[in-house]
Amino acid sequence: MNFDIGYMFDIFPRILQYLPIVLYMGTLSFVLAVIVGLIFAVIINAKVPVLYQLLRVIISYFRGVPTLIQIFIFYFGLPQLFPSLSSIQAITAVIIALSIKNAAYLSEVFRSAFLAVDKSQFEACEAVNMTKWQGLRTVILPQVFRVAIPATGNYYIMMIKETSLAFTIGVVDMLARAKLESAVTYKFLEAYLAVGLIYWAITVVLAFLQSKLEKYMERPYLKEATKS
Amino acid sequence: MIKIQNLHKSYGNTAILKGIDVEVKDGEVLAIIGPSGSGKSTLLRCLNFLEKAEKGIIEIDGAKVNVEQYTKADVVQLRSKTGMVFQNYNLFKNKNALHNVSEPLRLTKKMPKKQAEQVAYDLLAEVGLKGKELNYPVALSGGQQQRVGIARALALNPYVVLFDEPTSSLDPELVEEVLNVMKDVMKQGRTMIVVTHEMEFAKEVADRVIFMADGYIVEQGTPEELFTNPQNERTKRFLKNYLTLHN
Ligand SMILES: Nc1ncnc2c1ncn2[C@@H]1O[C@H](COP(=O)(O)OP(=O)(O)OP(=O)(O)O)[C@@H](O)[C@H]1O
Ligand SMILES: [Mg+2]
Repeated sequence: MNFDIGYMFDIFPRILQYLPIVLYMGTLSFVLAVIVGLIFAVIINAKVPVLYQLLRVIISYFRGVPTLIQIFIFYFGLPQLFPSLSSIQAITAVIIALSIKNAAYLSEVFRSAFLAVDKSQFEACEAVNMTKWQGLRTVILPQVFRVAIPATGNYYIMMIKETSLAFTIGVVDMLARAKLESAVTYKFLEAYLAVGLIYWAITVVLAFLQSKLEKYMERPYLKEATKS
Repeated sequence: MIKIQNLHKSYGNTAILKGIDVEVKDGEVLAIIGPSGSGKSTLLRCLNFLEKAEKGIIEIDGAKVNVEQYTKADVVQLRSKTGMVFQNYNLFKNKNALHNVSEPLRLTKKMPKKQAEQVAYDLLAEVGLKGKELNYPVALSGGQQQRVGIARALALNPYVVLFDEPTSSLDPELVEEVLNVMKDVMKQGRTMIVVTHEMEFAKEVADRVIFMADGYIVEQGTPEELFTNPQNERTKRFLKNYLTLHN
């Protein structure tokens, strides 16, 4: 057998140096995707004329195009249209592509979560003179998030993994580092398996945190829950 | 006092309220009865602008609004004069009983948290929910939820409490506890408008009963007048139906 396990452990730290850039790309795109997805969901649920139809098309487009192609369009294609973007950074292109694509998916998650929350509570907010924003913020949105958290968490995990596409346009991330390492030693299996294991570990940790958060958010809806 | 003049409301082309005139005196308890779909809920909901009427004048405790030319401030003022108790309680599901009552105080009256919670503790005790303050709505029975709903409405110290069939979602054995709390509210001299199917309660508690049908007030009077000696044919038929259904 030709597997150098010692080598694999040796390069872990070197690959892990690039963990921050992976988390940065994944997390920033995720936050942007949540914000944009929420805005999309509100527009769609309110059926804002024109914007609504336009959004349906945009969402359909971003769901239909493979992520890698989308990244290429933003990175190589946009500077052609807007020369001022010629210096668009690879990382920026990845973040834009990932956030818009996932906003399209998340808008659907949020839209149905909004529908799942009993709106009669909002009337109660109005009857006690809360402003629309106060009602949304203190009563409706927390319940929307509770419904949406399982699916949203899964998108976060997926997005972290999708950032590995960044390497195709020259971002030096964990995958790029592993490729560099193995190009010198020809120990491909060890290097790529090391990256794979790191991604796996990340998803396990995130999934654990997600289930903790879900439990926390469920508290008000469990019969035995009586703490404030 | 409350003075509603010529109130009109329609949904699309369907007229629901076709010119309602009502007066309610300070501390009076007004019961509204009538067949399903006659516009009872709509009338209540127009008073606090959960629905916007097309025409008419609403005056509650000095706040006078012509619904054809209202401002945001008018809506806020009417809502500050009214508390509402809903058929399905409409409690905030993500808040415990205490915060269901204290949060509106904190948000709309800018009351400090501690003080708002003290008010909430006191009110929950008044409606018989001492010890249930930290329960979330799912951990409360229907009757308990509705009593939280009443405490929430009272917390803002409104001029009038609007009850929209407060007991009709409840299991029969839970109706009594809610009606008793409502009697306590009455004894404190609070003005109340109660849409109800509980004729016995209306008889016992109401100062005046209004019978509504097809968007009009068909007949009104004291409970004795209306229940024992109705003048209008519609009223007679409605009460007869009711009696055959409930005996
Ligand atoms: N949002 C709405 N859109 C269209 N029609 C409505 C709406 N709300 C109520 N209606 C209609 O208005 C009429 C009066 O409704 P309302 O709820 O005021 O009746 P109600 O007297 O309270 O009846 P119930 O005893 O069944 O509660 C009904 O025919 C109802 O279908
Ligand atoms: Mg009704």
